[in-house]
Amino acid sequence: MLKIKHFIQQSWLLIVSSFCFGLLIAVTNAAWSPRIEQNQKDKLNNLMRGLIADANDFKMVLEAVQIPGRKGRTTKTDIYEADDVDGRSIGFAFIASGPGFADKIKLVIAVDGKCEKFFGFDVLSSNETPGFGSKIKEDYYRNQFKGAPAGKLELVKVGKTEKLDSKIVAISGATVSSEAVVKIFNMYIDKVKEKLKAKGLIDNGR
Amino acid sequence: MAAESKALNPGLYKQTLLAGLWRENPVFRLLLGMCPTLAVTAAVKPALTMGLSVIFVLICSNIVVSLMRNLLKPHLRILMFTLTIATFVTIADLFLKAFQPEMSETLGPYVPLIIVNCIIICRAEACASKNGLGLSIIDALGMGVGFTFALCVLAGIREILSTGAIWEIKVLPAGFVPWAAMSMPVGAFITLGLLIGLVNKISGKQAKSSCH
Repeated sequence: MLKIKHFIQQSWLLIVSSFCFGLLIAVTNAAWSPRIEQNQKDKLNNLMRGLIADANDFKMVLEAVQIPGRKGRTTKTDIYEADDVDGRSIGFAFIASGPGFADKIKLVIAVDGKCEKFFGFDVLSSNETPGFGSKIKEDYYRNQFKGAPAGKLELVKVGKTEKLDSKIVAISGATVSSEAVVKIFNMYIDKVKEKLKAKGLIDNGR
Repeated sequence: MAAESKALNPGLYKQTLLAGLWRENPVFRLLLGMCPTLAVTAAVKPALTMGLSVIFVLICSNIVVSLMRNLLKPHLRILMFTLTIATFVTIADLFLKAFQPEMSETLGPYVPLIIVNCIIICRAEACASKNGLGLSIIDALGMGVGFTFALCVLAGIREILSTGAIWEIKVLPAGFVPWAAMSMPVGAFITLGLLIGLVNKISGKQAKSSCH
């Protein structure tokens, strides 16, 4: 009994403060979380709209698709279908992530309605080295993916960036970041295609 | 009685406020909070956001610590400080995510890392846990503004030299070749080192002239 009394005497302020601070954080979170979620949705929508210009609406068609990663780990992603003004499917977009040079790189990748060509990608978040790895966000690198066949891509050190094929020319001084983007594409595309086929969203005569 | 005279002494308030800005500037003189100083000063916007977040956390935590100073058990005080600081950092982080999402992404993990920023725990221990509310707020304001000022000076120099612009407005002629290194950690270390040297030089001269 004495021990409990001593414990309460010593720690009552900590217990009361923990409760009050927890309540304060809970109230703040409840007030702002809808806005935070909306910000995240807006950002994703803007990026997807930037990649599939003719899209009128995006709807989630596959949720939490499991993508096998490195060392037996799996990641999950949602796949969105882009519809034009007439409601026809004109493409698909999904979030893809993988390790970069400094930190995780998160991309939004878009493919056409038949999943034959890439519409391109945009960077959702990355902490690559400014002036070097950060160049993955620049058009001259990103444009190489626009119209490239939606299959396995290969990173080359020298080549023509204007040529739209499966060979992606690495950024000088940022080979690791360039390679990371290509690896992310290769990690996701086959599984995404497989899932879309299984759901009858591609290769079904639509 | 001593506490009362302390609370009513406007000279002490002014001295406390100015100490954080120059004589005890947390970055240039105390070398505290080096992690955000080096990490978020590649441009002025994130540096200012970080500075304002630290001012908010410093003022709030100093208010709470000052109010509960007579109830604090000495062996549990660091735990209480950390709990208080973590609460306000979480609120600042949520605020940035809700109202400044771009800045929140730019600053990344450095906002939650304010919890371990030595300036805040240092002020809670050195000032707020020993003084009244007024002096604790003034101390937090002085230290916070001093920290923000240091971050902005460092970020201003780095941004100009690495992009030729400040606050994304071009200030250097078109022919200027950007120094990419200035936006990288090496640029942060070199600029900080030079600024600390400059501040020491000025402070040394001031001390000499006050001796004479």
